[in-house]
Amino acid sequence: MMRAYAPVAVAGVAAALLPGLGSPYVLSLTLTCLMYVALATSWSMFSGATGYISFGTAAFFGLGAYVCAWTLDWLPWPVVILGGAALAAAFAAGTGGMILHLRGTYFAVLTFGLAELVRHAMTYGEKQYAGTVGRMLTEVPSDLVVYYTVLALAVAAVAIAVAVRRSRFGLALAGIGADEQRAETLGVPTRRIKIAGFTLAAAVAGGIGAAMAVRWTYIEPLAVFNPFIGLQTVLIAMIGGAGSIAGPVVAAILFSLIAEYLRLQFPYAYMIALGLLLILSMLYLPNGLAGLWRRAGRVNR
Amino acid sequence: MTVGMCASGLGAGYGGFQVIADLELAVDPGSITAIIGANGAGKTTLLNGLAGLLPRTGTVSIGERMLKPSDALAAVRAGLALVPEGRRLFPKMTVIENLELGGWLLPRHERARRVDWVLEMFPRLSERRDQLAGTMSGGEQQMLAIGRALAGRPRVLMLDEPSLGLAPRMVDELLSLVARIRDEGITILLVEQNVAKALAIADHAYVIERGRMVAAGPAATVLTSDLVQAAYLGVA
Repeated sequence: MMRAYAPVAVAGVAAALLPGLGSPYVLSLTLTCLMYVALATSWSMFSGATGYISFGTAAFFGLGAYVCAWTLDWLPWPVVILGGAALAAAFAAGTGGMILHLRGTYFAVLTFGLAELVRHAMTYGEKQYAGTVGRMLTEVPSDLVVYYTVLALAVAAVAIAVAVRRSRFGLALAGIGADEQRAETLGVPTRRIKIAGFTLAAAVAGGIGAAMAVRWTYIEPLAVFNPFIGLQTVLIAMIGGAGSIAGPVVAAILFSLIAEYLRLQFPYAYMIALGLLLILSMLYLPNGLAGLWRRAGRVNR
Repeated sequence: MTVGMCASGLGAGYGGFQVIADLELAVDPGSITAIIGANGAGKTTLLNGLAGLLPRTGTVSIGERMLKPSDALAAVRAGLALVPEGRRLFPKMTVIENLELGGWLLPRHERARRVDWVLEMFPRLSERRDQLAGTMSGGEQQMLAIGRALAGRPRVLMLDEPSLGLAPRMVDELLSLVARIRDEGITILLVEQNVAKALAIADHAYVIERGRMVAAGPAATVLTSDLVQAAYLGVA
């Protein structure tokens, strides 16, 4: 059991030591890795366990980013991050109550629509009340502060995922994924459990959104509610194996590095290559990298 | 406390199609009541209607407590547990994890005690506590399905075709376990294709045909009735 988490722990320690050793470029690349570690891990904690595939991560991320844009000038940095997490969580709890009775593709499509809806609502609201669509961030925390914030959030996401998996709450989420009606007839309050899981995952995405917002300096809906963020989160979790903890962590790191390499080497074919990678991994790695790892372990024994 | 179950004017079906209608059912406290009938007679519909998994009409009560229709959570909270046909375990969870989920409604310390009680009752499960449910034999899976329902400390246990697909020796072992569960004070409603074996352990029996009750009485009387002898036991 502990051995499975060892590579994750090593990656965490390496990331913590990195600022003293790596160049700004390496640091920025690691930041992207850490962001997706947090997003994919928290996504797997809920969607991987229950099978409720959510494309709504961008909505929570974007809400967190906007909390940062609204409050960075007058609130301390940790409060800004917590505020981003809180707004995303509140939004997830409210919408979760309305949409979590839908299953399968209906739920997936609806969460995708949700992210778009929030983006357009934000555009409209900002135009109406602030007279602007984008917001400039002037006084931003140092790169090092942002780096350690995102690292802390990534570590928190993994710690939450491990704790949830070992808890009764995690057992209930897995029960919902395996047979929701059966779980309900055993007395599991499936509706409340789903809303709680959805909300917890959204809180992490909101916190990450708030922390990453300062990297843009100019916040606008198209950038922070980018559906690609939600899509990429799902891809990473699937490639890593949404049923495991180490899988999405490893996949987040690999995927971010490969994406960066492809973007630099083949700026035009980069998206095509990523798409192919996804198709291949879906076809040949149904349980993700984690499944491949387990299979290799069995063969070696 | 041992309680019984009563249903009156019970009707249920799927999407406007009425499968059972106007059923009267009385399950005595601490007894085994068997429901027998051919395939498609409406036995599973009856159990699902009682469990709150299907919309139903009529009234259902557990002891003094009336059950709301279409509310599976309320039914299980009132002490009504269903072991469905096909077992429907959580195959990728261990035996213990399945039992833990079964005891969801109990407070923590009581849940641990209850899980121990189930493992004592089913020594085979105790040997396999960390095995994944999906990798066990059919008989063991059926035991786990029953054990999981018992982990929630139900007052009334409904079993839907527990012997389906099991070897004859396993069927005997399982049905003797059902009798032992009754002796623990749990009221049992048993739906079973294996008519002779079911009636051998049952106290009362109902015969259901095309959604309606056609016979009822003490199990021994029903077993020797012409209707059952001819239709279910093939005795001309």
